[in-house]
Amino acid sequence: MKRLLRYLRQSLSARLSLGLVFFASLVFLVTLGIMFVQSRKAVREEAISGAEQVLDNTALRVQGILDKVEIAANNTSWLISRHLDAPDSMYVYSRNILVNNPELNGCSIAFEPYYYPELGRYFSAFSYNDNGTILTTQEGNPHYEYFTMDWYLLPKLLDRPCWTEPFADYNPEDIYSKEMIASYCKPIRDLGGKYIGTLSVDISLGWLSETISSVKPYPNSYSIMTGLGGTFFVHPDSTKLFYQTIFTETLKTPDPDRTALGKAMQRCEAGHRRLTINGEDCYVFYKPLGSTGWSAAIVCPESDIFNGLNRMQRAVLIIFFLGLILMLFVCRRIVSREMKPLEELTRQIETISSGQLDKELPDNGRTDELGRLYQSFSGMQHSLVNYIDKMKATTAAKAAIENELKVASDIQMSMVPRIFPAFPNRSDIDLFASMTPAKEVGGDLYDFFVQDNKMYFCVGDVSGKGVPASLFMAVTRNLFRIFAQQGNDPETIATDINQFLSQDNNQNMFVTMFIGRVNLDSGHLDFCNCGHNPPAIVVPGEPAKFLTIEHFNQPLGIMEGLPFQGDSLENVRETLFLIYTDGLNEAESPTFELFGDDAVLQQLSESGALPAEEVITRIKSAVEAHRAGNAPNDDLTLLCFRLLDLTKN
Amino acid sequence: MKRLLTLVLLGCALLARPALLQAQKFIFTPQWTAQAQFAGYYVAQDMGFYKDAGLDVEIVHPSATESAMNRINDNKSHAITLMLPQAMEIIDSGVRLVNILQTSMNSGLVIVSRRNEDPLKQKGIRVGVWSAGFDQLPITMSLKENLDFQWVRFASGINLMLSGAIDATVAMSYNEYYQLMQAGVELTDTNVYRFCDHGYNVQEDGVYVTLDFYKKNKEAALKFAEASRRGWEWAAEHPDETLDIVMKYVREGRVETNRILQELMLEEILRLQVDRESGKREFRLRPDMVQQMSQLMVDNQLLLNGVTYEDLIAQ
Repeated sequence: MKRLLRYLRQSLSARLSLGLVFFASLVFLVTLGIMFVQSRKAVREEAISGAEQVLDNTALRVQGILDKVEIAANNTSWLISRHLDAPDSMYVYSRNILVNNPELNGCSIAFEPYYYPELGRYFSAFSYNDNGTILTTQEGNPHYEYFTMDWYLLPKLLDRPCWTEPFADYNPEDIYSKEMIASYCKPIRDLGGKYIGTLSVDISLGWLSETISSVKPYPNSYSIMTGLGGTFFVHPDSTKLFYQTIFTETLKTPDPDRTALGKAMQRCEAGHRRLTINGEDCYVFYKPLGSTGWSAAIVCPESDIFNGLNRMQRAVLIIFFLGLILMLFVCRRIVSREMKPLEELTRQIETISSGQLDKELPDNGRTDELGRLYQSFSGMQHSLVNYIDKMKATTAAKAAIENELKVASDIQMSMVPRIFPAFPNRSDIDLFASMTPAKEVGGDLYDFFVQDNKMYFCVGDVSGKGVPASLFMAVTRNLFRIFAQQGNDPETIATDINQFLSQDNNQNMFVTMFIGRVNLDSGHLDFCNCGHNPPAIVVPGEPAKFLTIEHFNQPLGIMEGLPFQGDSLENVRETLFLIYTDGLNEAESPTFELFGDDAVLQQLSESGALPAEEVITRIKSAVEAHRAGNAPNDDLTLLCFRLLDLTKN
Repeated sequence: MKRLLTLVLLGCALLARPALLQAQKFIFTPQWTAQAQFAGYYVAQDMGFYKDAGLDVEIVHPSATESAMNRINDNKSHAITLMLPQAMEIIDSGVRLVNILQTSMNSGLVIVSRRNEDPLKQKGIRVGVWSAGFDQLPITMSLKENLDFQWVRFASGINLMLSGAIDATVAMSYNEYYQLMQAGVELTDTNVYRFCDHGYNVQEDGVYVTLDFYKKNKEAALKFAEASRRGWEWAAEHPDETLDIVMKYVREGRVETNRILQELMLEEILRLQVDRESGKREFRLRPDMVQQMSQLMVDNQLLLNGVTYEDLIAQ
């Protein structure tokens, strides 16, 4: 099963074939199902119609014979009533009825006990056909009290003519010796209308049994006849005749269907029912026989009725399944043939994908979907080759640029002092600086140097990023060096740099910058803030804070000729300075939250007593943590220094 | 000479043998055609219980022209079965019969109404009853209950009932009751009146012989009774085998019945043999039941003098 599923997963043609066959079989099955149901319905209706017709004919034939019996009795009864004064004539009447109706077996003209007192308790003129000889006798006696018999009592009690249930006659002379007789019985009345006896005309059941038994519309069907009590009077199983009723088997094993059938037949209804007889599904068609209260039925095994249809259905199903197998085979062949170019294409693609991009796809000459797929793929292959060529060129160019950028970065980084301790010969300066561009090159700068026992330093941030900013930074840094080395104070340096940068500044670039100069002897600090973030400071024993600046100047390079003003602090010994660019306080977390001024102060408060390098390391760690893996959004430059009061140590 | 002597002795032996071993001929007639109502006797015959008792029993069923009572009156049968009220009526009329075995301990008599109504609530209806008898208890009950039934005497069967010629019929719970069911008649607690449940629980079938016969053949009569009782006890223990035996007699008698009806009949007959109070098969007449039935029949003028328990049993 697993292998089959794997095969199906790997074979499109198998899946297509199966899908086609499955859909076709679904359509066929629905069609066949509807056809079978309709056919079955038609066959059933045909069977019902046929069986009803057969039953109608049978009932008519039976009725015809029964009518004869009734007519014979009726033709005699009026004679009896007119000649009651001549009891001996009853023998003649009973005899004549048999002479005139050879199909009859016997006739009784029986009277109530002591109706003829002179004749005693019993008087029943009885004639019977003894193998063609008609004999007549008086049948009543103490051993055969005819007036207790059903045939006598029924018309008397019902007060109308009627048929008895077939019965075995107990005659003292053993004339019928248990021959089954059915009698048509009619009350005899005197001229005053009073019941005085019963006229009974007997007929053998043999003809009835033959007539009904001969009804056999299907090879295994059979006919039955039941009486008023459901007793079988005609049945193919002779052991059931007279001994069992249609209800007998339900006494021990309830069978509602059979009971319902029996009741319907007892009620002299006509119709049909489906039930299981001896484990076989059968249709039973039933119809009453005249006014007798008996009912005839044809039992047809369902298999017989639907035999032809079932055979046809089996043949159709076999053809259907064979057709499906053939269809599957043919579909598979056709789909495989049609898919062959696709397989070829697959192989070609595998070759191409292995690296042979220049391998030409053969033209299969097709103009259908597969042909177009070939052409499309071929076009795609050419585009891919071209694209790859372009990519190679671009990649090479990019690599060159990256290489150049790397060189530029190295150059840029080499422009700022990167060797620490910066002043190994001076124990009174604790200084550390760090510059981390957001891209290969950045627009931040810092610088410091000692000249004439004065330390000049600056931290700047050029507008924009990347190569333009880095070039502007390089210029600015050089200008700082040039003008600072002239021994000017920070505001003059700023004014000079601004003057220089403002000229021909077509790109309108500018730079914010904090420029400072510390007198290493006195601890006096002069500084000029050109639009830059105020540095944070930690005065020993105090929390970190931002440096108070009185004169905020514009960034450098914006407007030519503007005067810059500076500030100063008398003694900054032991005060920690952190000069930084906005890459610190505006560092963004993944949720775009800024690092913030408060965090800067907090970090500085916590590490304010530590050496400058340690302070920068911690602050950078804090920024990294804040970014939480986010790429830097701006260059980050930090310069931290503390002028130590050596006299304290 | 020696050979002659041997022949003479052998001849004497052969002549003497039948006289020594010949079992006593005993003709038994049940009151109806072959059916499970008489299963115990068929079992005793077929299982050799009668032969074991030294009896050569022949079971002869009555015919339409010759009832069991006719046969015993004509000395054609030595023992017959009768229902207790029937036997009491016969004894009251002067015929000396004695009960040698009582099999029934309960009444199986019922009245079944065609409509699903209590038969006793339908005064004046036509009620069928067998012309052959067994009508003592129904008539007694109807008189006592002032039911004013119109009794229709018929030979046998249920056709009058089925055709609607009568409104109700007297039936035996082991026979016609099941025949009616077999004919599709619905029998409920409402339309079936059971005498045994309304103070008329009277014993029914028993085996009777004439007093004369009893006096002359007491030993044979008692052996027959004992072997018959053995037959009934075996039947109660082996109902399936008993049914096989019954069906053999049914087939021989060409009786219009079937195995299912006979099975139901056997079950009911065996149930009626169990005394309600003791829960046992007692095989005895109950003096209280005899007295009750006699009193009922006397009160309703069905008996002239009444019959006592002592009149019935073999002294």
